[in-house]
Amino acid sequence: MEKENSIRLNIGPVHPAMHGVLKLILDVKGDTIIKAQTEIGFLHRASEKIAEMRYFANYYPIMDKLDYVSALNMEILYASVVEKAANIEIPKRAVYIRTIMAEIQRIMSHLVFIGSFGEDIGNMTGFIWALRERELLMNIVEKISGGRLAPMYICNGGMFYDFPQGIEEDILKALSTIENKVNHEYNAMFTKNQIFLSRTKGVGILTKDMVIKYGITGPIARASGINRDLRKVSPYLAYDKVDFDIPIENDGDTYSRFVVRTREILESIKIIRQCIKDLPPGPYKAAVPWIIRIPKKDTLVKQESPRGEMGVFLVTDGGDKPYRLKLRSPTFFAIHALEGLLVNIRVADAFVIVASMDPVMGEVDR
Amino acid sequence: MATLDKLKNGFKGDLEVLTDEPSLSVISIKNKKLLKKLAWQIKEEFDILYSLAVVDYSPNFELNYIFSNYKNADILILKVNITEKDFAIDSITDIFSSANWEEREAYDLFGIKFNGHPDLRRILLPEDWPGHPLRKDFKVDDEIRNWTGLDLKF
Repeated sequence: MEKENSIRLNIGPVHPAMHGVLKLILDVKGDTIIKAQTEIGFLHRASEKIAEMRYFANYYPIMDKLDYVSALNMEILYASVVEKAANIEIPKRAVYIRTIMAEIQRIMSHLVFIGSFGEDIGNMTGFIWALRERELLMNIVEKISGGRLAPMYICNGGMFYDFPQGIEEDILKALSTIENKVNHEYNAMFTKNQIFLSRTKGVGILTKDMVIKYGITGPIARASGINRDLRKVSPYLAYDKVDFDIPIENDGDTYSRFVVRTREILESIKIIRQCIKDLPPGPYKAAVPWIIRIPKKDTLVKQESPRGEMGVFLVTDGGDKPYRLKLRSPTFFAIHALEGLLVNIRVADAFVIVASMDPVMGEVDR
Repeated sequence: MATLDKLKNGFKGDLEVLTDEPSLSVISIKNKKLLKKLAWQIKEEFDILYSLAVVDYSPNFELNYIFSNYKNADILILKVNITEKDFAIDSITDIFSSANWEEREAYDLFGIKFNGHPDLRRILLPEDWPGHPLRKDFKVDDEIRNWTGLDLKF
């Protein structure tokens, strides 16, 4: 390609249309992008280094701030890896409460995606509506844990507090409201809206080969026709005891990525209802001392976070702190794919495609 | 795992099996020059490089290549040791494209050189950052804490 007539466009790291501190360097010819580069690292807080300086039980606040839109999933993931390494058995009630909290957080995360996606295509009403529904669940998380964005609810062996009395009714009430809104209002606002369809249908097509090439997982891969969800493939928590489906779309465009996440909200509602029905009584926490020592071994745990397969590789050496903690973040690989995806498209579509990846830079930069 | 038997036959003596569980196998090779040959073999069964975790056991560094695929929950972990004296290893980016950024991250945080990598530069830290912070001998002192990247005097 000739370079003479192209302009280099720097977008971000601080830009109203960017998600977090992602920087795009686009070579533009007319209105068409001919080359795209991404730059990350503006939110690097050395989470992996901090892990080597803290006791196992003191690392939860850092996990909260990794993927700050789905903090509870991160906490549950870290608790799982510590408990697997230290051979801690958690009570049955704790397993069910964790499943409920993980799915509540997944709904909240997907609602933020719907909202910010609406905002990026010029649909400000959708943003306000999605945050209104998210607030219902935010209040429930606040009632349960005391925190909202960074709840600090999970600890080694279970969780800090049991469910407060009568919270089950609150959750069911909020869920039926959200189900109603997603089924009716969001269809009118997004999937049956002609402006939305013309902005998203056929834009930014991610083929199956590209998904495998870049190692993308989660809803983005499922929108390209890859039937893989860790909740089904290698069930953890209580996912093998509940009945739910995995939404799959085959087109791989931004519209599919939107629809997959919308349908996942409805599946999560199904899971929570079954878990609340089967919620066993009993202790919610195993007695685990604050400072634990884990013998020398390597532990790998992977779970399905709202953005894909999040993994932790924990290396211990018999001490009371991790020797090395490696975080495998799903969006790290999805951002890499933008270099191939943002070529030969219009500049205006670039923002829709970036938004459809749903990046949270806290998790990419760690 | 079926792959494991095939790999064992192809690399007699060089390849050691540490764990052989239904969905997790851990293997290690002594000679790092065999990495690319082994990666081509692994490519037949595994689709992506899931993660690359480097562990600092100074003066040795252990590279954990974690492979995964889209068909099932199988995980293959390949351990390769390199020493500080010869601090380089072949890049597998041409075999697994998903290794590209993971290798850049390992270069950024540990300083490991990946021979044949198409674009080996820092990814998370600024270009002029002093040192490689995830190594155990990296000291977090005031100079690091107050680092701004700018040549300014206040």
